[in-house]
Amino acid sequence: MASPVQFVIETVGLKKTYAGKVPTPVLLGIDLQVAVGEFVSIIGQSGSGKSTLLNILGALDIPTEGTVKIDGVDISTLTDDGLAVLRSQVVGFVFQSHFLLEELTCLENAVLPIAIRSGSATPEETEWITSLLVRVGLGGQLHKSPDTMSGGENQRCAIVRALANKPSIVLADEPTGNLDRHSGEEVFQLMRQMSAEIGIAFVMVTHDDRLARAADRILSIEDGLMRSLRNKAP
Amino acid sequence: MTINTLLPRQIRFEAQLAWRHLRSGGGQTWLTIAAVASGVIIVIFIVGVIFGFQRRLTALLTDAIPHVTVQVPAARPIPYADLPGRVAGTSSSRTEMQAPQRKNIDDWRTVLAVARTIPNVRTVTPAVAGQGFASKGANPVGVSVIGADPAQQELVTPVTKNLIGGHYLGLAADEVVIDYELAKDLNVGVGDRIRITSVSGIPEPLRIAGIYSKGQGRGSAYVTLRTGQSMLAIGNSVNVVFVKVIDIYGADAVAERLTVLLDCEAKSWSSEFPNFVTSLKAQAASAYLISGFTLIASSFAIASVLVVSVQRKAKQIGILKSIGARSNQILLVFLFEGLGIAIAGSVLGAIAGIAVLYLSSLPKEAVGRFGGVPQSVIPLILDPLYILTAMAAASTATVLAALLPARRAAKMNPVDALR
Repeated sequence: MASPVQFVIETVGLKKTYAGKVPTPVLLGIDLQVAVGEFVSIIGQSGSGKSTLLNILGALDIPTEGTVKIDGVDISTLTDDGLAVLRSQVVGFVFQSHFLLEELTCLENAVLPIAIRSGSATPEETEWITSLLVRVGLGGQLHKSPDTMSGGENQRCAIVRALANKPSIVLADEPTGNLDRHSGEEVFQLMRQMSAEIGIAFVMVTHDDRLARAADRILSIEDGLMRSLRNKAP
Repeated sequence: MTINTLLPRQIRFEAQLAWRHLRSGGGQTWLTIAAVASGVIIVIFIVGVIFGFQRRLTALLTDAIPHVTVQVPAARPIPYADLPGRVAGTSSSRTEMQAPQRKNIDDWRTVLAVARTIPNVRTVTPAVAGQGFASKGANPVGVSVIGADPAQQELVTPVTKNLIGGHYLGLAADEVVIDYELAKDLNVGVGDRIRITSVSGIPEPLRIAGIYSKGQGRGSAYVTLRTGQSMLAIGNSVNVVFVKVIDIYGADAVAERLTVLLDCEAKSWSSEFPNFVTSLKAQAASAYLISGFTLIASSFAIASVLVVSVQRKAKQIGILKSIGARSNQILLVFLFEGLGIAIAGSVLGAIAGIAVLYLSSLPKEAVGRFGGVPQSVIPLILDPLYILTAMAAASTATVLAALLPARRAAKMNPVDALR
């Protein structure tokens, strides 16, 4: 019997170089471990490779060198469909822009990962997603289109969507970047609550030092290398 | 319960998203559907007109003639040099042949019985056919004479519907039905008496029971079978058996079968008019070519619209992939979109195409001959098979056109799409 996975994400010597006329190295060897239920924030200058790292940690991109294990699975061993299944079952994404589908309602957007996984959501799954939406204050917006909702509401809906398949980890790329201070604070607190209650690990890339400091751990990327700024929240 | 719940659960997400894409597409969706519908309308109209013309021309020709004519072949003289057991010596190198003469079919009842057993045969009529001269006083005019039972002959070459006056059915032994042109030349009318002298030299005084006009030049003079036999002095025999078939394009097969089964010469209408058949085939080929090019053109239009649509949805494809959509699911979404356009376009195109055909059939041409029935200016054919084929072809072309952008969408790198 396999031992339970302690780390939802584990990278060893992760390197990424973008090919081109002049190859551009972005990540020069990242060793990272994210534990179950941990809330990690990553900070760094624009162009430092934060988003590239997040894409690789979410199995959207593959490293040039090194090993990346997500929920104990080495992503280099997976096919495109295997990576898609991993993204569907283990990873949730929250982007700077909410990226909700305008053709779908708030509820339909939130159940989308379930629909992709198994065709359509069962009544129980729909009920669970509805309860999450109600929890995040979107009970009155269930059947509204994203273009009729505010930025903060859309981002809260996007967070529920990221949680729909009960993933092991949620990767958030500047989730509050497009929101005002108040809405950003709300969204961040929501992610913290979900992380604590459901036991889902969060990796959040942010430029907001104040939010970064509220995480369990702060990591910084500089010149393609990662260093730990703080290990535990005060 | 929604339509989506009727689909297998595995493809509900793809079907629902494709439906939402089409709905949110608004004007663009309707334009694409209109492109498919236009293709279907053009195909239905072109095929309807060309095959309508074909049917009118074919009917014009084959309604008035037997589809298969059975005769006993005239004996051909054998050159002396080819005779078996000939005595060696000089012989003429040239063989004189007399003009073809119809031989009698003595056992014509057997011919009828055999012909009626062949599939596709609609009716069989024994007849006497020959040439003669019609006269009223002086100035005899050449005429072709057909002697047959009027009720049976009516099924081979309809006379009654072309009658200007008088009757054909119930023709008496001393009566004849003649063509309007002949009546004009002889200056006679219904009830007048004329004399027809056959090639055997027997004059037959006959009363004109009816005058008909087909509007296609001079036609035959019709008498009863008994009168025809008497005029040609062939006793109870006939010299021709006319066969009418159900499917006129199966006449060749019927003729071949009759030739095999009977010691006779059976000729189909198509072998008598080979150029006509060739022109029909050329027309059919042109209909198919025009239809094919139309569908190809509309497919390109649809493909280009869908390619743009995929480009516009690049970010959405990236999102879907980032939350676990597999490439074949993305492919299916865009194929379903194409299928939706195909179904809506071909159904609307079929409805509009039928309406266009119906409206085009309304204008009638002026009647060209006395007693004629007005026909549509544009002869059209509305065959459900052609319409269903046009719908299926347009749908297939649309789904194939959707395949290219769908594959492009499926192959899209999520990171590039989200960037």
